[in-house]
Amino acid sequence: MLRLLDETMRVAYGDLCFMRRNAASVLVSSMVAPILYLVAFGYGMRSGSSEGGVDYIAFVVPGIIAISSMTAGFSSTSQKILIQRLFHSSFDELILCPVGISSIVFGKSVVGMVRGLLGSAIMLSLGLMLTDDIHLTPWLILCIMLSCFAFSMMGVMAGLLANNSQTLAMISNLVLLPMTFMCGTLFSTDSFPGPVSAAIGALPLTHSSEVLRSVALGWDFPWASLGVVAAYCAAFFLADYRLIKKGRY
Amino acid sequence: MEEHIISAEHLTKRYGDLLAVDDLSIGVRKGEIFGFLGPNGAGKTTTIRMLTTMTPPTSGTVSIAGHDSVREYREARGSIGVIQQHNSLDKDISVRENIVHHALMQNMKRSEIRKRVEELCGAMGLEDRMDSLVEDLSGGWKKRVSIVCSMMHRPPVLFMDEPTTGLDTQSRNALWALIKKLNGEGATIFLTTHYISEAEALCDRIGIINKGRMIALGTSDELRGRIGVVTVERQNADGTTDNAYFGGRAEAKAHMQGLPEDANVSIRRTSLEDVFLELTGRKL
Repeated sequence: MLRLLDETMRVAYGDLCFMRRNAASVLVSSMVAPILYLVAFGYGMRSGSSEGGVDYIAFVVPGIIAISSMTAGFSSTSQKILIQRLFHSSFDELILCPVGISSIVFGKSVVGMVRGLLGSAIMLSLGLMLTDDIHLTPWLILCIMLSCFAFSMMGVMAGLLANNSQTLAMISNLVLLPMTFMCGTLFSTDSFPGPVSAAIGALPLTHSSEVLRSVALGWDFPWASLGVVAAYCAAFFLADYRLIKKGRY
Repeated sequence: MEEHIISAEHLTKRYGDLLAVDDLSIGVRKGEIFGFLGPNGAGKTTTIRMLTTMTPPTSGTVSIAGHDSVREYREARGSIGVIQQHNSLDKDISVRENIVHHALMQNMKRSEIRKRVEELCGAMGLEDRMDSLVEDLSGGWKKRVSIVCSMMHRPPVLFMDEPTTGLDTQSRNALWALIKKLNGEGATIFLTTHYISEAEALCDRIGIINKGRMIALGTSDELRGRIGVVTVERQNADGTTDNAYFGGRAEAKAHMQGLPEDANVSIRRTSLEDVFLELTGRKL
């Protein structure tokens, strides 16, 4: 376990150097989208209303944290891997080094985890300032980390499979964007018709959002949703592991 | 039995219907510079990717410093340094960060890394460029950084995939000197190249691959001997040339005497270029 952690951080070193060099732009880009969602939905469209029995701001902040974990986790890992594979050829260097495949998968997800946690931390801080209904607990931090991890793993997979930046843009438009609005992050999905509701129920952001909201607002803990997010983590990890092992990247 | 530090047995790689490498076996002796020549698309890069554990073979085995490349891939990877055809550095971070990252990936300790960075970067004249972004370096400097990265963990085997392609003459000569120095210090070097002169100048033995198969293997003299060490070259009126190869000067001169008096002929030592052309039917 210690060896895996050590190797993971060795793999992540280069990406973390890049992030440190570009700290200001990373910070700004991590803030823009969550704040826009908060302003547009929290103070624009739904100002003064309530949802799920709580003030709308308290309802929407965990949802925006889930969105941040998804977009930052996915985009930063997938784009970095795509560039390193296709333009710098530096991804091959990782494969040539005596580290385990698991360490490569985890190591490449670190940059997404950090970006996701940064965006989530900014939004959580704002949420704590704006409403008393959100509770900061170790469980909430763990659940945010799990959500960032799931979407970073998904980003690793996309980065390994995509053959150009257009493919990544297409995934963003066809997968991430619909999830952003349809997975119960910004409003309740109770009024959706049955088949749509069932389809949405299969998506990871639905469960990530559900878990974060329940923990942040002190609602009953949705163990099933936590299980679904964990299952997505495992599935994405196995897919990433297999792609690298078989040299299909 | 000869000690082979790189050993490939019946190596085959298929991509769907395409047979990229076909039942190829190679044994590289410890301490030698082995040249690997082949025309474009012959299977050189696929072979080097299998030898360096980057691509699993469809069938066959590879052993590096006694470690099976599939079952003991960590140990095999720890025994090699690879300088890829295209610079495979992370261009968004500095020279120092690239080198340290590479060393960390080789499980080196930070105290050891510091010493080794000073030693190698001093030898390669990189001291003043350590904090430059790799993106801002010329091709020759990037190649030097790649070499430092590949040498950080003192690997006994170095793979160099067309290391001088794209370099100016000065950088190429400097790299040749470095390759000889590294080899003199005990490193075994597996070198692919497009330049026959490079293979002749550097390599102890040369393997020629064509259409995925090894078609010749030996020292440059042995390879010349396969077609004849003396060449009689006849220039035709239409600008083409016909070559005839002979085992010695006496035979070659006898052949020349049988040619018409006005024929434009010359006699010379057979080059590796001639061997390559004769064996593959293509120029390198």
